Amino acid sequence: MSASYIDEMHEAFRSELVYRPEEIPLECTPGPKEMEQTLHGVMKLNGLIIRSLEEIAGRGANAVTYRAGKKFGHEIAKYFQKREDVEGALRELSDLLRGQYSFEVWKPEGEESFIIEKDGETFIYLVFHDCIVRQTLRRNGLEQGGPLCQTLYGYVVGAIEEITGRKARLEIVHTGPNACLKKLILK
Amino acid sequence: MDIRVDKDACVGCGLCVKDCPMHVYELQDNVSVPVRPNDCMGCLSCHEICPAQALEHRGIYPARRHYIDIKVCEMLRKVI
Repeated sequence: MSASYIDEMHEAFRSELVYRPEEIPLECTPGPKEMEQTLHGVMKLNGLIIRSLEEIAGRGANAVTYRAGKKFGHEIAKYFQKREDVEGALRELSDLLRGQYSFEVWKPEGEESFIIEKDGETFIYLVFHDCIVRQTLRRNGLEQGGPLCQTLYGYVVGAIEEITGRKARLEIVHTGPNACLKKLILK
Repeated sequence: MDIRVDKDACVGCGLCVKDCPMHVYELQDNVSVPVRPNDCMGCLSCHEICPAQALEHRGIYPARRHYIDIKVCEMLRKVI
């Protein structure tokens, strides 16, 4: 390695900037467009972690990712006002998370209410539009509905448990390139 | 939701009928017909699966596409 190359490399990490501990940065640097490479790097890394986890842990991978999602759900929702109304809790959650995950409560045209009762089950359909999980899977050419989707499953269940105190489970009904349909089954 | 099927392009394979979880499409005279367009939740699986690219959705919410590389798109734009 030549000395000039090392000097050049060191030069790239030096500046005249005076940085004091009390100066809290008020915005992310660099700007969003320059963050693209970082975002792709994170997506690639996440994809590889999930692929490796699946290879080593097999079906156990789902339990790990579900747990991670559930923690995330509890973490986000603990600042919410506790309420019993699941439909309202979901709407609130959806507004707060726009950007990472955006979802809406959804019903087929024939149904009267968003809370559907069918075959002894009470459930709500959720359509996930923007989803960092889907983006990551498609970035890596991985199949949808696998362990990484379990994070979302855990996330919604954790948040609902935290807000309403009710137990729930989430079922993936359909995955698509633009949106995914999930069924939140209430217990 | 406004779903349009290009009748000349549709090959009547029925893949959209099988794939749609909300049973939006039906095959009529070997052409796919969106019989329940209001039940469509906009997943666009039918777009991905249609070999003839015969489908068009209007009034849909396009999900963010972070996985598309801006640099690759810039290069493609130059070529196309």
